[in-house]
Amino acid sequence: MLNFTPEERKVTLFLLGLILCGLVLNNLVKVNCRIERMVYPPIQLAKLNLNKISLTELAATKCVSVELARRILEYRNLRKEFSSLEELKEVKGIGEHRYGKLKELFFIE
Amino acid sequence: MKRLLVILAVFYCLGIILVGWTYINFWIITAIAIVVFVVATLWGRKNWIFLILVVFLALLVGYLSMRNSWVLSNCHIRKFVSYKDNSLYWLNGCIVSQPEFKNNNLWFILRVRQIQSDKIRYKCCGEVLIKMDFEQELNYGDNLTLMGNLNRPPSFGRSQGYRDFLARQGIYLIMPIKDRRQIIRQDKFDGVGLIRGCFWLRVYLEQVISRHLPALPASILAAMVLGQKRNIPWLVNNSMVKSGTVHILVVSGFNVGIVAFIINLLLKILRLGRKARIVLTAICLIIYCLITGATNPVIRATVMGLVFLAAYFLKREPDIYNSLVTAALFILMINPRQLFDIGFQLSFISVLAIVYFYPKLKTLVHLEVWRNKVLKFLAEGCLVSFSAWLGTLVIIALNFRIIAPVTVLANILIVPLATLITLCGFTLVLFGLIYPDLAHFFSLPTAALITMLLNINAALIKLPYAYIYF
Repeated sequence: MLNFTPEERKVTLFLLGLILCGLVLNNLVKVNCRIERMVYPPIQLAKLNLNKISLTELAATKCVSVELARRILEYRNLRKEFSSLEELKEVKGIGEHRYGKLKELFFIE
Repeated sequence: MKRLLVILAVFYCLGIILVGWTYINFWIITAIAIVVFVVATLWGRKNWIFLILVVFLALLVGYLSMRNSWVLSNCHIRKFVSYKDNSLYWLNGCIVSQPEFKNNNLWFILRVRQIQSDKIRYKCCGEVLIKMDFEQELNYGDNLTLMGNLNRPPSFGRSQGYRDFLARQGIYLIMPIKDRRQIIRQDKFDGVGLIRGCFWLRVYLEQVISRHLPALPASILAAMVLGQKRNIPWLVNNSMVKSGTVHILVVSGFNVGIVAFIINLLLKILRLGRKARIVLTAICLIIYCLITGATNPVIRATVMGLVFLAAYFLKREPDIYNSLVTAALFILMINPRQLFDIGFQLSFISVLAIVYFYPKLKTLVHLEVWRNKVLKFLAEGCLVSFSAWLGTLVIIALNFRIIAPVTVLANILIVPLATLITLCGFTLVLFGLIYPDLAHFFSLPTAALITMLLNINAALIKLPYAYIYF
């Protein structure tokens, strides 16, 4: 009755397979919130944890000089940890413009 | 001779390179080129004489086109602005790029028509990069009058990289805009309707992607499907550079191939004739090229695709080398300085390396006689990755000062995943446009695949000696 070409068969199978995967994942995400963490990428893959970063890692970002990186870590050691990214502005040498760049790079945990 | 075009392109490129080593007057070279042309026309009956003359002519044309690209017209804006000039200028012109907000600044290119300094107005031409410290609703084709200083692009220490990069695109000046009062917007629209439509579609498709995916997967998918890299986090980009897989974050031949396949398939389902299908597919490829910003890899892939379509249209056998060279010449004829652009070099050399090395490596390991299909598929992937790595090794090492032995392994694992993500991405975008409720089901597998890709990449660069900076 229906004469599928080989390409049409592949596309139909691909679409149905994708919908099936989507349905299964949708169901799993609803019943188990841990699955959601596996489906969506964690923030650690996109940003650096400011409370755990080392001097070498911070300097390697090339967004701050070694001197400024040292000051950021001194500030962190003094306060034990950053409670919010806004605190970066209190470090000498970080103005509004640099803060705008740094907040895209780090997160606080 | 089947590949005369390849020889001509090689000598054309040599001519461009020669400009950096020699200085010969433009008109002397023009005179020699005319003489060679006349001799080739009149006495080039013997094949080998004709070949030598034509090859020499290609070399001279390459030399001349490079020399000519250095010459700026008398009305070029660069000639109105002196070095370390703090004067205030009024510029009148229209936006010729899609304004993009990155690093807390709005960037766009203004094609200048008029410049005013000290109450004197001059007609002028050329392009200026505009850097605005705030966000404003601006679009391609908008007419603006801007007031401010004109600076040379910054150089970072001894490196002239950024300045050279902009110069290759014909941009020699930057105007920083810090206050809204420095801009006067006019109602007139001056762009090409088709390009404006493509930019509008790109913004709309980006919105479709971010409606169905969280920020990080959306940024990666936008890069893979629409060529928009601006939202990709630094950490992701950096870890992909380290693993040698950053090429998956740009639109390339593979994406162009998928677009051609989807369009062709849809038209086939509509029972359109072969010729109509080819023409419509070619139009769609050009539109996709414009949507993705017409960068070097996309232009290369689009021109190659168009050459292949033309061959099918004329019922002739396409040749991969000739189509690759046609794409290179298409870009270099417009702007010969692109030959020194790292993106251009990597884009062409990686394809050339795959086309040249892959069949040889395949014969070397006797891949044809392998019976296990899974092993054969894996070996093929491995050989393609190895060929591309081999071809681009020297350029990457010289420019980025990095050697990444993990690249081959990373590509074997990541490229198939990226292929799946791109296919899912196109499906998501298509259904997001026509049936948004169903698109939700496609978004979950896409996000899961992107997460898997990022995790694999992060794990690979932690391997010992995965990459070496020198």
